[in-house]
Amino acid sequence: MLTVGLIYLALITAAYLALSRCNRPKTVESLQVAARSLRMLLPLLVAIFGLVGLFQEFLTPEQVQQTMGAANGLVSLLLGGLLGAISIGPPLAAYPLAGSMLDAGAWPPAVAAFIVSWISVGIVTLPFEASVFSLRFALLRNGVNFGLALLIGLLLGFFL
Amino acid sequence: MNREKRFGIWSLIRSQWLLLFAISLYLWAFAAAPQRAWHALQTGGTLFASVLLLIAAVFGLVGLLQVWISRDLIVRLLGREGGIKGLLLAALCGTLLIGPAYLIFPLLMSLHRQGARWAVIVIVLSSYAVKLQMLPIEIEFLGWPFSLGRSLLTVLLAIPAGLLIEAMMPKTPARGTWDAERGNL
Repeated sequence: MLTVGLIYLALITAAYLALSRCNRPKTVESLQVAARSLRMLLPLLVAIFGLVGLFQEFLTPEQVQQTMGAANGLVSLLLGGLLGAISIGPPLAAYPLAGSMLDAGAWPPAVAAFIVSWISVGIVTLPFEASVFSLRFALLRNGVNFGLALLIGLLLGFFL
Repeated sequence: MNREKRFGIWSLIRSQWLLLFAISLYLWAFAAAPQRAWHALQTGGTLFASVLLLIAAVFGLVGLLQVWISRDLIVRLLGREGGIKGLLLAALCGTLLIGPAYLIFPLLMSLHRQGARWAVIVIVLSSYAVKLQMLPIEIEFLGWPFSLGRSLLTVLLAIPAGLLIEAMMPKTPARGTWDAERGNL
């Protein structure tokens, strides 16, 4: 993981150096935006990695396989989708959680459904969405996106 | 002003609930099995440390995209393009925009009032589940086939989902250009 991080960091640094030659103030602003976004997300990242630690320590692979394993089929797919729908958060937070599910032997389609609905289905934000667009739109969109999350999971199962 | 305040509360709840949840779980874990709780904390900490560099690098890219491809530019592009090009553009914008989805609800609604199709709004929100700039992190945790397959499927299926919802929404042409643009498809 360290090498990937270093390579990526080198690439981004090169991009910053190149851009600072053509527009210095804008590049400085980019760096400020980057630092601000990271700082805002830090408490959440601490929470996520804390949860991943608990997950790996207290949930046995057998338990994960029983609830979200391939043998459980459509139930685990639905469970993954629902788990994602009730929680909202940035994609960055979903990846480590999804990673530990996969490691513990969860069915990949269920994990994919979890990630997609984590980001694009929001039960908590549904009232707000209805007040901005309309109740009809909010229900339709969340419903369709939930179905889509399950479909993406299933299709990914064939693909993998 | 009122809107700002509302977002503040929303984002506060969003960023706090998980941390509070994690802390209370740890308190419970330390009370029940201190040794295992300590081990969990170490596991999480080690994992965090190992990806911190990658996360920092990705956020460098996030900053660049945010400043060089401004939100105003995205709004201008999405409002203007109506046909298939607009739908593809919406999918691309959804994968690049950063921040909680609910933060862009008002922005998208104002786009719709200015004449953007419902499909465009839905496609942005559906393809939101993919973050191109975060892909290296996703691959790190979930592997190449899973990450690329999931991202590709999400973007491809966002467009039919957008058209499906648009077909189910009452047709209220916001402007004269609306119908002309629909005819383009």
